[in-house]
Amino acid sequence: MTPVAIVGSGLAGFTVYQALRRGGLEPGQIAVFGPERDPAAVWRRRAEAIRQRAMRSESDGHCGPSSFPGLAFTGARRRRSLRPLVASLADRYHPTVEEFLEHVERRRARSGWDESVVESRVERVRAVDGGFELDGHGAFRHVLVAPGHPGLNLPAELRGDRRAVHAYEPHDYASTVTVVGAGLAAATEWLNALAAGAEVVSVRRREPLRRPLNVPRPYFSRRGLAGFHALGPAERAARLRTLLAPSYPPGRAFDEPLARAAAEGRFRVEAAVDGTEQVICATGFLRGYRHDPLLAALVREHGLETAGAWIVLAPDCTVPALTDDTRTLALAGVPAQWAFPAADTLAGARYAGHRFLARIGSCRTR
Amino acid sequence: MSYTLTGRVSSRLTALLPVLLAACGLAAALHRAWPVELVALMAGVGVLLDVQAWHRLPYQPAWAALPLGAAELGLVTAIVLGAGLHVPFLPALGLFGAGWLASVLLSQAAFPALRPGYAEDGGELGRLGAVGAAGVVLALAGSAATVYARRPPVVHLEAGVHRGPLVITRREVLEGEPGAVVRGGIVIRHDDVRVEDVTVVGGENGITVEGVRGTVLRGVTVSGAKLDGIHVRLADVMIEDCTVDMLGNPLGQGIDISYNMDLGMSRVEGCTVVGGMEGIVTHSSMTDIVDNEVSRTRERGISVTEMSMGTVAENEVRDALGVGLLCNDRSVCTFEHNTVVGTRDDSASGNASRSGYGLLASFQSEAEVEGNELDANPVPMGTVVDSLIRPVE
Repeated sequence: MTPVAIVGSGLAGFTVYQALRRGGLEPGQIAVFGPERDPAAVWRRRAEAIRQRAMRSESDGHCGPSSFPGLAFTGARRRRSLRPLVASLADRYHPTVEEFLEHVERRRARSGWDESVVESRVERVRAVDGGFELDGHGAFRHVLVAPGHPGLNLPAELRGDRRAVHAYEPHDYASTVTVVGAGLAAATEWLNALAAGAEVVSVRRREPLRRPLNVPRPYFSRRGLAGFHALGPAERAARLRTLLAPSYPPGRAFDEPLARAAAEGRFRVEAAVDGTEQVICATGFLRGYRHDPLLAALVREHGLETAGAWIVLAPDCTVPALTDDTRTLALAGVPAQWAFPAADTLAGARYAGHRFLARIGSCRTR
Repeated sequence: MSYTLTGRVSSRLTALLPVLLAACGLAAALHRAWPVELVALMAGVGVLLDVQAWHRLPYQPAWAALPLGAAELGLVTAIVLGAGLHVPFLPALGLFGAGWLASVLLSQAAFPALRPGYAEDGGELGRLGAVGAAGVVLALAGSAATVYARRPPVVHLEAGVHRGPLVITRREVLEGEPGAVVRGGIVIRHDDVRVEDVTVVGGENGITVEGVRGTVLRGVTVSGAKLDGIHVRLADVMIEDCTVDMLGNPLGQGIDISYNMDLGMSRVEGCTVVGGMEGIVTHSSMTDIVDNEVSRTRERGISVTEMSMGTVAENEVRDALGVGLLCNDRSVCTFEHNTVVGTRDDSASGNASRSGYGLLASFQSEAEVEGNELDANPVPMGTVVDSLIRPVE
């Protein structure tokens, strides 16, 4: 039995893979199942669609197994400048998308990722004696499932509307554009459409939150997580809904162009979609395990505990009912938010990777 | 980073361990305890602030190490000054800076690199943290035990007259019982000697301290010396609560501390000096002169001269001849809350700068003054030869 499998070959699975490699596992001991070898393929397409130039994350928003050296350190070395490090001291360093993708490529080449990848989409994970059976690929003692987002979320009232396009799908900009949403993708699209000369209408259900990262910083460490993990299921689900509300970073990069455009009459906020030529839905992704066939089947077939849209996980991202001294089933990426609210970030994937590695290390039968 | 309390404390102590070990080495090399004392103080202040203040910060960006470090430096400095710890300023500042830098580098780079989950664990270091904290405790306990074990032997000098000169050539504490008198002087020729409650009569100098470190003279009484009452050369010294009687000796100084500029601060406090040419004088020295009484000298009362630096505070100088308080020969002095009364005019000597100044800055010296009472002196205060007197900043 090959000891370890990762289901999902995107950035979350890739980041977990880096943690396992740092923990001493060889490429031959890890099998990665996914539809593409390039771990950044899906992310790259989305970033291109919204014309993203810089990362929201900071120096430690990378796929490496430890927060140091971060991308600011690498950037300083490559640019022969202290500026990235100084900016990082004040949490103002945001690597460019190119820098991030180069980093992924370097890690991919160095870590032996391609040796471990099996180009196959796993659609079912089934518990068997001492491990898990993966769709005819055999049994694995320790499995981490990182399936990514289950799909793009298009508001029901706009489905079938020929003007509507999701922000993460390739698109250009018409002369009048409505952007639905209040998160970073929406804010990026406001600026993109304005830069393309469009008149922009922002439609949103709530005023956007302004914060540097997806969730408040203490939730990235045990300091905030300890209290979060102590919450009961109902309170934790409510807290998650609050924490995961759409937000984008504060700062002049957004405020100044929007204020200028508003003064020129090219940017306004409205309550509902009106008669613009194009509607861009920056409404994120479908939420909840029910939208993911693999996770939905996993819950159904094994009777797993759930709370709202989430599978109930232990603080270390493992599925309690399917994890014991001899085997591990863990989640990473967005379905791991029950354990780590910012699970859909690279830091969240790193967290899941470290915990998964610790489980493997403590397993009696490894 | 968002530290947990355990993470803060374990990161701090583990980061301090290499600095503490370096301080132990430095203490061994210098034969001084201050490096270890300072690091122990840094650890105590740091942990106290972690628990009482810094832990309230939900998130600490990397730049916050600067203001937090400055606050800790301020508190450590206040305690050092308030407790009167004998710590040389610049080396101590260097040691603090090294500790701060080590802490920043380790917490920002080395700990995350060594322990991948460092950031998400809130700075907790697991076994490494426990080992680090234990290392700090053991190193401090070992240092304290070493200091305790290396305490100098105590020699009790019985009541009665002992023939001198008494030459001390090893680390020891010489404690005089009431009525113990050494006739012929005491000569100190070893580091870390403490002399307490001994009366010295006669001798070339009453007490000679030359070329040694860490001498403490406490409660000594000196009289009848042929040259100086207490004569310190190339040595650092703490003199407390002494009495020096130089009446009848027109050429010797009551207390003369000279040529120890590179040995850190010396101090004279709580002494009474009567007679002699100058009461208390320093040459090329960094010495604080505090709360002493000097009277009836044949020339200056207290003199800080020959590129010396120091604070002269809360002293009382009476009946000096020519000058009460002098800052001379490119020295930098601070005179605060001294009382100078009844300085006599000596212009008959032909030297105009001896015409009864309460306080004089002379020959390219700088004196800062505050709160001095200069009464019944022919000239309360003045400067000669490119010197400067200004209020304390």
